[in-house]
Amino acid sequence: MAQVIADRRDVEFVLHEQLNVGDLSQHEKYAEFNKKTIDMVIKEARNLAIKEILPTLKEGDEQGVKFENGQVTTPESFKRAYELLCEGEWTALPEDPEWGGGGMPRSVALAAGDYFNGANYGFMMYAGLTHGAALLVEHFGTEAQKQTYLRKMYTGVWGGTMLLTEPEAGSDVGALTTTAVKNDDGTYSITGSKIFISSGEHDLCENIIHPVLARIEGAPAGTKGISLFLVPKFRVNPDGSLGEFNDVVCTGVEEKMGLHSNATCSLTLGGKGKCIGTLLGEENKGMRAMFLMMNEARLLVGLQGFGCASSSYMNAINYARERVQGRHLLKMMDHSAPSVPIIQHPDVRRMLITMKAYVEGMRSLLYYTGYLSDLITTSDSDEEKAKYQGMIDLLIPICKGYVTDRCWDVCSLGVQVYGGYGYIKEYPQEQLLRDSRILMIYEGTNGIQAMDLLGRKLGFNKGKPIMDLMGEIQKTLVQAKEFESLQPMAASVEAALNKLGEVAMHLGGKAMSPEVLTAFAYAHPFLEVSGDVVLSWLLLWRATVAARKLEKGAKKKDQAFYEGQIKSAEYFTQSVLPVSQGKMRSILAANAAAIEISEDAFGGK
Amino acid sequence: MNIIVLVKQVPDTESLLEVDTANATVNTQNVKWIINPYDEYAIEEALQIKEAKGAGSVTVVAVGPDRSEQALRTALAMGADTAVLVNDAAAEGSDALGIAKVLAGVIKEMPYDLVIAGVRAVDDDGYQVPAAVAEYLELPLVTAVIKQELGEGKITCHQLVEGGSLVVEAPLPMLFTAQKGLNEPRYASLPNIMKAKKKPLEKKRLADIGLDAALVGTGSAKVAISALALPPERKGGKMVTGDTPEALAAELVRLLKEEAEVL
Ligand SMILES: Cc1cc2nc3c(=O)[nH]c(=O)nc-3n(C[C@H](O)[C@H](O)[C@H](O)COP(=O)(O)OP(=O)(O)OC[C@H]3O[C@@H](n4cnc5c(N)ncnc54)[C@H](O)[C@@H]3O)c2cc1C
Repeated sequence: MAQVIADRRDVEFVLHEQLNVGDLSQHEKYAEFNKKTIDMVIKEARNLAIKEILPTLKEGDEQGVKFENGQVTTPESFKRAYELLCEGEWTALPEDPEWGGGGMPRSVALAAGDYFNGANYGFMMYAGLTHGAALLVEHFGTEAQKQTYLRKMYTGVWGGTMLLTEPEAGSDVGALTTTAVKNDDGTYSITGSKIFISSGEHDLCENIIHPVLARIEGAPAGTKGISLFLVPKFRVNPDGSLGEFNDVVCTGVEEKMGLHSNATCSLTLGGKGKCIGTLLGEENKGMRAMFLMMNEARLLVGLQGFGCASSSYMNAINYARERVQGRHLLKMMDHSAPSVPIIQHPDVRRMLITMKAYVEGMRSLLYYTGYLSDLITTSDSDEEKAKYQGMIDLLIPICKGYVTDRCWDVCSLGVQVYGGYGYIKEYPQEQLLRDSRILMIYEGTNGIQAMDLLGRKLGFNKGKPIMDLMGEIQKTLVQAKEFESLQPMAASVEAALNKLGEVAMHLGGKAMSPEVLTAFAYAHPFLEVSGDVVLSWLLLWRATVAARKLEKGAKKKDQAFYEGQIKSAEYFTQSVLPVSQGKMRSILAANAAAIEISEDAFGGK
Repeated sequence: MNIIVLVKQVPDTESLLEVDTANATVNTQNVKWIINPYDEYAIEEALQIKEAKGAGSVTVVAVGPDRSEQALRTALAMGADTAVLVNDAAAEGSDALGIAKVLAGVIKEMPYDLVIAGVRAVDDDGYQVPAAVAEYLELPLVTAVIKQELGEGKITCHQLVEGGSLVVEAPLPMLFTAQKGLNEPRYASLPNIMKAKKKPLEKKRLADIGLDAALVGTGSAKVAISALALPPERKGGKMVTGDTPEALAAELVRLLKEEAEVL
């Protein structure tokens, strides 16, 4: 039988041959996680994902969530899957075991998450948002808040959410109008309406803890006046038992293009004046707190998209091996020639190798970004820690924006490889495509990600993070060039890297000039080419590892895998990077048509 | 109560199996290995018994090469307390009776009240090992159990038989084999995975259990596999055509006689 969700050899490759995450066990914090243990964790995560979570994917899509009398019912099969996820303690893999976490390296947690999210990210989002919300409690909570909420959240007994968006406050969170009024006992009464709240109301947990962004009466306008509050669905008594309903009312759920199994809720807070919250962190510092957690959330969104893309690729490659249609191109004229599996057709191969290269590159990117966090944990030099943090901050818009854009492309190819069947609900490909579309929008649209990269990350700390990243890329180039077969690929990566440096300087300069508007019209193309270059580096790195293994004489079963690594890098550097070079030329030229065109000239009036 | 569970490592049912025709064996190069699914029922039942009693131990025992350790670790991650692996080149190539001799040899040395095994292993599908182990240990044997109730010094087993179940009672110690339906095996939880690697896993050789190598292995095997082949690929079905039910039936009979040659 063919593999589903993720190619396990590829998962093992990134963990153990590209990143060598087992070495993290030399540090006392991760001493428990040697290679054998990591393998066992991943194997069992995979087992649970395939046997219990994947089967909920289609049912979740078809049943969706039901809204009735303020209550949301999740798809039937979710209850058991959620119980198993919690029983196995798979809900807060990298967090502190003292609070119910799994204590594992983030890179390993990402690999486990690869399977879980690939199996059904709409389901995993109930637990995923809880994890994110709990992180806020861990980082900014008082001892009392932690004692009340943290363990229950990390272990999935209580759910968690993220309440930012309001009808007039989407991308511009600073425009929100939800208010908080301080009570005599130090708590706050919260009033307002939030929309588009994922997992905002559901039946998987007995309580839901909402981190809410709101403005304290009299606070400054904009993001500077926003504070963060913890608002439980049911108040919690001093002994930890559930108390009174806290006036958080779900007024409806959205009908959507995809992600049907995860409830997107409208919530009215304090409609009856009885919604009480406690301040999380400091007054007016809510946005800062959110920003600290944003990296985590954005990396997760990248992983959600990646799960769809990896699944779509696994399905496509297996389908292409089995679907027989048409004669081989070289036997086109021979009517007696047999029909062949479509994997033999050049255009299908083009699609498959495109999917393969992106999926592999993105897997490396996401795990690597998690791995940088592990390096921060295990390093005892402040300078090193700052360096890794800078690189993470720089890579996050790529992990979110670039990755989810490419996942949409990959899932679309996944539909195409299936032909008409790809469009039919009986097959999984169309759902993966639909489900992956929202990822380009929530948690900061990809347009906002691009602006983050160009406007904030690029010039951060005088450009040190990007210099550090380029330094890492240079190291790979040196190693790749040791292999004659890899030299043309290394040359392409190097040329693209140099060009990217030029583009970054140029565009960064423009962004601080009167042509700032034009510069930002190229923010997204800049995100794209940055992502291309980073991916080409990671693929070249993979190819270098593979070439080294082949040179040493790989086992027979590994030869095809390593050959596949080199081919991915070859394809990407020789067929994708030239296009990126063209895009970079267009960014350098920075034509201003998009800015200069008058609003009337867009027509349609 | 001390319970021993027999565990075999088998190719993952997801693996693409290739036959090594020259050696009449399965090419295991690309194979991923798992615990025999029926043994998972056996492990689960042992754990449930131990949990219900609130005391005792569950020991998992396997015969096999180094890689079998993985299966035992997984059993430990499910919750078993200790593991024993008999790993001896001399035992390779043993037939069912040879393996049973080794297992009986190890178990003999250990305290136990109950031995549980899977009803069969999904690779060789031989059904023989547990029965032979019971024979060598002179234990009562009940096969294909779908429900059991432990009593004082005895056990009542519901045995799956054609069209129903048979209720049989046996004194302890005894051996029973687990059939699908007995329970729902648990998944290894993360904390148990972490604990598993610290649990004792003892490796033994034939000499350690005082077993004469000449009694096991290829040399002493009473069964030899002479050839191995994949089942023929299924061909597409054939629609029988005809205007009347009588014509259809006549055509069907003709096909069964002439083409399928089964009548
Ligand atoms: C299924 C789903 C789940 C969601 N889950 C949550 C959740 O759990 N919690 C939560 O708080 N929110 C959630 N959201 C809300 C989501 O984060 C917002 O929809 C998103 O941030 C965009 O805001 P908006 O919809 O108001 O679009 P707008 O902000 O109106 O954006 C419209 C377009 O304009 C662009 N744009 C806007 N401002 C700028 C600018 N300054 N510069 C350049 N371009 C700009 C955007 O990129 C976009 O293309 C969810 C949304 C959906 C659909």
